[in-house]
Amino acid sequence: MRPTDAYGVLETSERGLSEQEARQRIEKYGYNELIEKRVSWSQVLLRQFKNPVSGILIASAIVAGFFGQIEQSIAILAMIFLSAILGFYNEYNAEKTVRALRQSVSVKAVVTREGKTMEIGARLVVPGDVVSVYVGDVAPADMRIVQCKELQVNEAVLTGESFPVEKTSDGLGLQRPTPQQLTNYLFMGTVVQHGNGRGVVVSTGRHTEFGSISASLAESRPETEFQRGVKKYGTMLISLTMALVIGIFVLNTAVGHPIIDSLLFSLAVAVGLVPELMPAIVTISLSQGARVMAKKQVVVKRLVSIEDFGNIDALCTDKTGTLTGGRIVLEDYWSLSEARDPKILHYGLLCNSAVTGDKITGNPMDVAIWEYGIANGIEREIASYAPVDEVPFDYQRRMMSTVVRKEGKLTLINKGAPESVLSRCKYADADGKSGSIDSVQKLIDAKLAEYSGAGYRSLAIAYKTVDTKNSYSVEDETNLTLLGFLIFTDPPKKDAEQAIAQLTKMGVDVKILTGDNELVAVKICEDLKIPVKRVVRGSELTQMSSSEIRSAVEEGTIFARITPEQKLDVIKALRANGHVVGFMGDGVNDAPALHEADVGISVDSAVDVSKGAADIVLLEKNLSVLADGIEEGRKIFANTIKYILMSTSSNFGNMFSAAAASVFLPFLPMLPMQILFMNLLYDVSNMTLPSDNVDEEYTKWPRRWDIGFVRRFTLFFGPFSSLYDFLTYGIMLFIFGASASVFQSGWFVESFWTEVLVIFVIRTRRIPFVSSRPGKWLTLLTLSAVAFGTILPFTILGDFLGFTSLPAQYWVLLILMVATYLLLVDAGKVFFYKICKF
Amino acid sequence: MTPYPELMGFWAVCITWSALFLTAVSIYLYMDSRKKRKLTTPATSTFRFVIDFVFVWALLGLLGLYIVSIDRGSSILFASGNIVVEALLVAYTVKNRPARGPEIEKELSP
Repeated sequence: MRPTDAYGVLETSERGLSEQEARQRIEKYGYNELIEKRVSWSQVLLRQFKNPVSGILIASAIVAGFFGQIEQSIAILAMIFLSAILGFYNEYNAEKTVRALRQSVSVKAVVTREGKTMEIGARLVVPGDVVSVYVGDVAPADMRIVQCKELQVNEAVLTGESFPVEKTSDGLGLQRPTPQQLTNYLFMGTVVQHGNGRGVVVSTGRHTEFGSISASLAESRPETEFQRGVKKYGTMLISLTMALVIGIFVLNTAVGHPIIDSLLFSLAVAVGLVPELMPAIVTISLSQGARVMAKKQVVVKRLVSIEDFGNIDALCTDKTGTLTGGRIVLEDYWSLSEARDPKILHYGLLCNSAVTGDKITGNPMDVAIWEYGIANGIEREIASYAPVDEVPFDYQRRMMSTVVRKEGKLTLINKGAPESVLSRCKYADADGKSGSIDSVQKLIDAKLAEYSGAGYRSLAIAYKTVDTKNSYSVEDETNLTLLGFLIFTDPPKKDAEQAIAQLTKMGVDVKILTGDNELVAVKICEDLKIPVKRVVRGSELTQMSSSEIRSAVEEGTIFARITPEQKLDVIKALRANGHVVGFMGDGVNDAPALHEADVGISVDSAVDVSKGAADIVLLEKNLSVLADGIEEGRKIFANTIKYILMSTSSNFGNMFSAAAASVFLPFLPMLPMQILFMNLLYDVSNMTLPSDNVDEEYTKWPRRWDIGFVRRFTLFFGPFSSLYDFLTYGIMLFIFGASASVFQSGWFVESFWTEVLVIFVIRTRRIPFVSSRPGKWLTLLTLSAVAFGTILPFTILGDFLGFTSLPAQYWVLLILMVATYLLLVDAGKVFFYKICKF
Repeated sequence: MTPYPELMGFWAVCITWSALFLTAVSIYLYMDSRKKRKLTTPATSTFRFVIDFVFVWALLGLLGLYIVSIDRGSSILFASGNIVVEALLVAYTVKNRPARGPEIEKELSP
C-alpha cells in the first residue's frame, strides 16, 4: 500500500478530518485513552485483609470460635471489619485523588484538521486524524506513516529494545507482519528520538498495540528511600513482636496458665503491638499532601515520591525556564558585514522547524525567530523561497538544515549551535563577499565570547549552494559559508533570586546542569546571586574517573556543555555520595535523568516523554512552587515519623510489661478482646495525625529516614511506658487489692491514657502546647478518644468487654501518675535530643 | 496487710529492672554520643552532667517513692511525692529548654 492510500482506507485526506467528522468518530470509537488500570473498590477492600496482622487476627478469631469462645470470636471479627473499613475508606479516597490529579496533567498532539495544524489534547485524537510528530513526542495513537524525515523511534515501551528503530513511509509488502516488522507504522506510546514525521491514525485507545498490552506493562518503578525504610522498619517490628509473643505464650504455659487462654492472649498481644495502621497513616498523609500540593500548582504523579521530594538535598536543574523566564526572545542579529544583513533573518525563518498555524509551536528559538519575523513583517519577504528538503535537528549535531529554491537556485541553509556550525564552515560572508573563515575567526570568537559573557545565546547561520538531488542529508552540511548569528536572550526570572535563596536556606544545594556554555550559566548565576563554587565542563567530565566525578559533583555548581548521558552521571554520582537528588527537566534528553533521580520533576509544558518519566509535575515552571512543594513534603515526612516513633515506643513498652505481667499474675493482665479494643481505639485516635501542625524547624532542612534513630528512640522511650505499666500493676494489686476485672480495667485506662496522650509530648521538641500547638483535629480526636476510654468501664459496652467501674481514689492517683509520666518523658526528650541527632 | 504479698517481690524486681534498664540505655546513648563527638566537643563539666541527667535523677527518685509508697499501701505518700516531682520537672522544663524554634533549629542543623 502506498503511503497516501492510507487516506482513502481511513476516509480522510491530507487536509485531515473536519471537526464534525472528528466529533462523530469520537462517538463511534470513543476517546483515545487506555482503560486505566483502575483499582476497583472491591480490590481495595480485599487488600485490607492481605497483611500478616489480619491473618493473625483471623486465626485468632477461628481459634477462639473453635474453643467455644463465640462472643470473643465475633468481637474479633467485628474489629477486623471495622479496622478494614477505616483503611478502605482512606485508601480508596487516596486512589481517587491521585487519579484526578494525574488527569490534570495534559498530553497534547499536533493534528491537521480542515487543513489547519493545531495542538489538541491527545485523548481527542480519532482514527483518520493526520498527526505530526517531532523529536521528544510520544506517539498519541497507532499511525500509518505517510511522510517522514530521518524518523527514528524508541519502541522500548513495546519491545524492550532500547536502540531506536528507523521508520519509513514506504510500503513494505509483507504478508501478516508482526508489529515489530511494521516500520512504516508509529505505535502509541513510542517516543520520537530523531527526525519528524506525519501519519494517519489507524487505531486509538485500547485498540492500539500499546492498549492491548498495557495491562502487562505495569509501572515497575524502584522503591523510594522512604518506602525502603518503612518496609525495613515494618519487617523488624513484626519479627521482633512475633518472637516476643511466642515467648509470652511459652512462659505463660510454663507457669501453668491454661494453654488456650495463653494462646488467645499471645495472639491479641501480637495484634495490639503491631502498628497495623502505619500503611493507612502513610496513605492518608500522602493523599492529604498531594491535595495541598495540587493547590500550590504541584501535581504528584507518584504518591510515594512525596517524602523523598521533601528530603531532596541536591536539586539539579536545567537553567532555561527555571532560572530564566523560559521565553526566548530574538534580541538581535549580527553579521560580519558592516551593516546588519537582513538575509540572516530570512535564512533563520527558512531554516526553521516551528509549526506555524493559529499558534506557533516548536523549538523555542525557532518560535522566537517567527515571532520576530511576524512582528517586523519579515515573514512576507521569504514568500519567494520554495522549500525543497530538510535535514532535521538532532542533539548530536546540534544543528538543522533546509534546502530552498529561489529563482531556480538551490541553497542549503544551516542553522545551529555556533561551535557546531563553525566546525562545518570553510568560508565567511562579509558584505556579500565570501572569504576564508580563518581570516575572521578571531573576530568571531571575540564577538561570541562577548555575547555569551553577557548571557546571550547565539545561533549561527550558514549556507551553501547545492545541486539538485532526491534527498539531502548530514553529509551535505560541509564547506559552508558563515553568514552571521542570531542573538537570543532569556533573562532571569524576577522571582528566581528569591526562590534560590529560599531553597538554599532550606538546605537544598542547587546545581545547574546545562547543555549551554559555561559563560551563559555563570552570568545567570551572577544575576541571581548564586555563589559558584566550581564550573565543571562536559569535556572535563569525560576525562574523569568515577571517584573524580563523585568529588566534582560535590564542589560543582555549574555543569556546562554536558550531554544527557553526563547529566545521568552527575545524578548517579550525587546519589552514590548519599544525597537525595531531585532533577528538574523538561526536554526529551532529560527523560533518563528524570528516571535516575530520586525525584524526577517536570513541568506541564514539558515534552510528553519528560512528563511521563517524572514523579512530580509543576503546573508552573517556577522554583518558588518547588520550594513550597519541598516544604509540604517535609511536613508529611515529619508527621509520618511522629506516628512511627510514637507507636513504636508505646508498643514496645506495653510489650515488656504485658510479657512480665502475664507470667507473674494469677490472671491475664488484660483480656484479648480488651487489648484488641484498645488497639482499635488507639488507631482511630491517630487518624488525624497527618493533619497535625509541624514545627517550623522540622521543615528547615532535609531529613533522612534513619532506622538507627528509630531503634535508639524505641530503646529509650519504650521503658518509660513499661515503668508506668508496672506502677499501675503495683497500685492495682497492692493499694486496691484489685480483682482480675478491676485490674484489667485499671490497666486499660492507664495504658490508653499514656499511649494516647504521649503524642502531645513526642510530636514536638519544644514545650508542648506552650511553644508548639498541636493540630486542632488531632487535639479534638485525641481528647475525645481519652474521654471515651475513660467512661468505657461504666458503660454497657464496657460490661460486654469485661470491664468494671474503678474506685474513685484510683482516678486521682491515675491523673497524678500520668502527669508525672508525661513530664518525665518530656524531660527525657530534652536529654535524648541533646545526644541523638535526627 | 498488703494484698497479694507473694507478688510484691516480683513486682519490685520488674519496676526496678525497667528503671535501671532506662538508666543504662541513657548512659549508653550518652557515652555513644560523646564518643562520636569526641574530637569536636569539650569535656562536659560535672554540673552539666548533673543537669543533663536530671530526668534520670527524677526517675530514680520516683522509683524509690513508688516502691516505698506502694509497699506501705500509702496513696497519700504516693500522691504527694508525685506532686513534688512534677513541680521539679516543670521547673526544669521551663528553665532548661529552648522554648523557641531558632534554638532548636540550631540543634537540628546539619
